[in-house]
Amino acid sequence: MQLRYSIIAISALVSFANAQNYVSVQYMDYDEDSVRTTVHSPHLELNLDFGADYTLNISGVIDSLSGASPTYYDSSSGASAKIPKGSILSSDIAYGDIPYSDRRKDLSVALTKRLKSRDELSVGYNYSTESDYISNELSLGYLHYLDKSKNRSIDFGLSYQKNKIKIGCYLGNSECDGVSGASSKVVNEYSYVLNTQIGFTQILDKNSLIKASLFYINEHGYLSNPYMRIVRDYNTNPRITEERKPDTRHSYGLGLEYDRAINSKFTTLFSYRLFHDSWDITSHTFETQLFYDFNSKLRLGVNLRAYHQSKAKFFSGKKDYFTNEKYASSDRRVGKLSSYSANLSAEYKINSKFSINGAVGYYKQVDYFHSNFYNIGFKYRF
Amino acid sequence: MRVMFLIIVALFFSGCSIKEVKPWQKEILAKESMQFSGGDGNLRKFVNHIYFSKEASKGGSGVAGGGCGCN
Repeated sequence: MQLRYSIIAISALVSFANAQNYVSVQYMDYDEDSVRTTVHSPHLELNLDFGADYTLNISGVIDSLSGASPTYYDSSSGASAKIPKGSILSSDIAYGDIPYSDRRKDLSVALTKRLKSRDELSVGYNYSTESDYISNELSLGYLHYLDKSKNRSIDFGLSYQKNKIKIGCYLGNSECDGVSGASSKVVNEYSYVLNTQIGFTQILDKNSLIKASLFYINEHGYLSNPYMRIVRDYNTNPRITEERKPDTRHSYGLGLEYDRAINSKFTTLFSYRLFHDSWDITSHTFETQLFYDFNSKLRLGVNLRAYHQSKAKFFSGKKDYFTNEKYASSDRRVGKLSSYSANLSAEYKINSKFSINGAVGYYKQVDYFHSNFYNIGFKYRF
Repeated sequence: MRVMFLIIVALFFSGCSIKEVKPWQKEILAKESMQFSGGDGNLRKFVNHIYFSKEASKGGSGVAGGGCGCN
C-alpha cells in the first residue's frame, strides 16, 4: 500500500499541488528606493491531504503598505491626489510622490480532487480587500494525463474576478459628478477579469521536462487608477485631470519552460513569456533559476529575470502632450520600460519535518527606481 | 508578432527527444528544485506580486491569484 501511494505521489509530479501535509509561515519585506515604498507581509499557508484523492490548501496574507505614488499634482495646494478645479498656473504643475498607506488582506482556498484516472480537478476561491478595493475570484482547473505513464499532460484553467473600486469624492474625480459635495462620499466602480489558460507538459527523459502554455485575459469595466493624474492643454489652458484608460483590455500570450536536472545536485530552469494586449503593449520576459543541493539538508537557489515592455498607445509621460484625447495616461507602468531582478534563496532542512528558508532579492527598473526584498520563514511537515 | 511566435515555438520544440519514463524513474523530476522557487509557492507569489504591481503584463503563471488594487 505504501508503495502504491509513493508511486501515485511521484506520478503526480506535474500537477500543481504537491501532495503533503504542511504548515508554512513566512515573512516578506519590500523596500523601494530606501523607504519611498515599504511593504511588510506576513504569510500563513496550510496544506492538507485527505487520503490520496483530496488536497486542501488555505493561505492568507496581510500586506502593510506605506509610501508614495508618483503622479502630477498642484504644487500650490501641496502634494495631494485631489484634482484642482479648473485651470491652474503651468508653474504650479509638479510631478512627484503622493503619500499613501494601506493594508491588504488576502485569503485563498483551493481544493484539488484526484479522479480514478489520476486526472485532477481543482476549484479555488480568493478574497482580497484594501481600504478602497475589494476583489472576489473563483477559479477552476483540470489536469488531464495523455498517456499511461503520465509523461504527458494537458491542463486547463479558468478564473473569473469581480473587483470593486471605491473612489473617494474628496479626490475630485469626474465619477463623483452629481453626487459630490460631501467629502466623505464614495462612488463604487467595478472591473471584471476573465482569465483562461491551456498548458501542455511533456517529460522528455528522467531528468528533464518542457511546459508550454497559451493564455487569454479579458478585462472590462473601470480599468483606470483613481489616483493617477495627467496634464491636459498645458500650453493653452493647463488642467490636472484624472487619467482614463480604455474600459476593455484583451491580453494574450505564450509561456515556455524547460527544466533540467544536470545531475542529482544541480538543477536549471528556463522560462520565456510573450505578452501582447489590445492597448498595444508587448512584453518579453526571460527567467532562469539554478538550484544546487549541497547535501540532503541544504539547498541554494539563484533566480535571474529580465523584462521589457513597449508602451500603451494612450501613454505619455510628458506634461505638454495631452489635449482632448479620450484615453490618456501618464502611469509609468503602462509606459515603455525594462527591468531586471535577481534573488538568492536557501532552504535548510533541520530534520525530516522541519525546514527553514530565506531569500534576498533586488529589482531594478532601468532609469527609474530599484528595490530590495527579503523573505524568511519555516515549513513544518506532518 | 506572428512570425516571432512561430520562431520561438519551433526553436523550443526542435531537438527535443522524448524517452518514456516509468513512474519509478521520476525521483529527480519529483524534486522541489524542478519547480521555480524550489516549490516555495509563497516566495513565488510574493515576487510575482512585485512584478504585477510594477509592470503592465500579466498571465502565464496560472489563472488563480486574486485581484489587487496595486495596479
